[in-house]
Amino acid sequence: MPSLLPLFQWANNLQVADWVRKSTWIFPAAETVHIVALAVLFGAIVFVDLQMLGLVRRDTSASHLEKELRPWTFSSLIVILCTGALLFSSEAMKLYINVPFQFKIVTLFVAIAFNYTIHRKVIGAEAVRLSSVWVKLTAVVSIMLWLSVGFAGRAIGFF
Amino acid sequence: MSVEIATAPVTAKESSPGFGLKKRIAGLIAGGIMTVLVSALVWVLAAVLPSKTDGPFTFLENICNWLYTTPVSVGIRESTLLFPAIEGVHLLGIALSVGMLCWFDLRLLGLVMKDEPVSKVWTRVMPTAITGFVLMFLTGALLFWAEAATAYHSVHFWIKMGLIVLAGVNAGYFESTTHAHVAEWDSAAVLPMRARIAGLFSLLLWTAVIITGRTMAYSF
Repeated sequence: MPSLLPLFQWANNLQVADWVRKSTWIFPAAETVHIVALAVLFGAIVFVDLQMLGLVRRDTSASHLEKELRPWTFSSLIVILCTGALLFSSEAMKLYINVPFQFKIVTLFVAIAFNYTIHRKVIGAEAVRLSSVWVKLTAVVSIMLWLSVGFAGRAIGFF
Repeated sequence: MSVEIATAPVTAKESSPGFGLKKRIAGLIAGGIMTVLVSALVWVLAAVLPSKTDGPFTFLENICNWLYTTPVSVGIRESTLLFPAIEGVHLLGIALSVGMLCWFDLRLLGLVMKDEPVSKVWTRVMPTAITGFVLMFLTGALLFWAEAATAYHSVHFWIKMGLIVLAGVNAGYFESTTHAHVAEWDSAAVLPMRARIAGLFSLLLWTAVIITGRTMAYSF
């Protein structure tokens, strides 16, 4: 497997990374935005997943809710990725050897891919052909994936 | 006769499937504005305010100092795993509570789930939000316990506590007055101004709580 080191070095040497490093408050500011957007994203995802699990009212469908929240999920994800990239570039070399970060980035990509493929397909087909076991399993996997991303993210700063 | 025109029924809103480009761009612009505002507030808090205070209450200071020396406090503070774990759960609590409550607040503002009655959104959102709040307050208390003496001297900590109280007052006032009569405006096209203001305040206050939580950690 080719090394990803050049990518990390490139990010580390960006002008933006330098600005973040030199300023005391850009990093906390970006992190705050990261967390506020995280609350919105996680709220949207958990809301839909709980609906799939039948743990909130049963008189609406998860697919209806998911469509309703879709613009919020999307824009909060973009905000998270942008602020995340900013935070990342400022300490890319440190993160290269950070195990929680490696774990987080993998689970993040899996979670995003899962959300926009299987998760969405299952929600769309929910009422039609899928037994409720698969719908519930998808919801549980989704919650577990995003939880892993969150906890690994929190762990980055401590290791 | 012109009254008829003035009170023309609200035209049935085109309920597009909800993933239109327009909506996404609007969402991104809103996200961008939020980003700038939140960052600006962090900057102002950090740059304008002194982060340390002596605090006027020696009584409270004594309690905080005593808490700081208790075994539980020392244990959490010095544990490599416990502190991050508690903070992780605290963050999860934030995501669950604010992340769920925001849908109710946005519903009050008429920005999401407009085709559903307010009371229905409430019953869907609240159980999870309350679970989140419980998690957040419990872990928050533990984190405070671990850092009581430092927190006492942090201006950001006191602002955060003040904001939480304000958020509580806002919610309590809304619950006891406007929300108590929810049946009268449950499915109204435009919600009463009081309800919309309560929603807006709730969103702003909880965002500000998250902000001061972060600035607090960075100025400890």
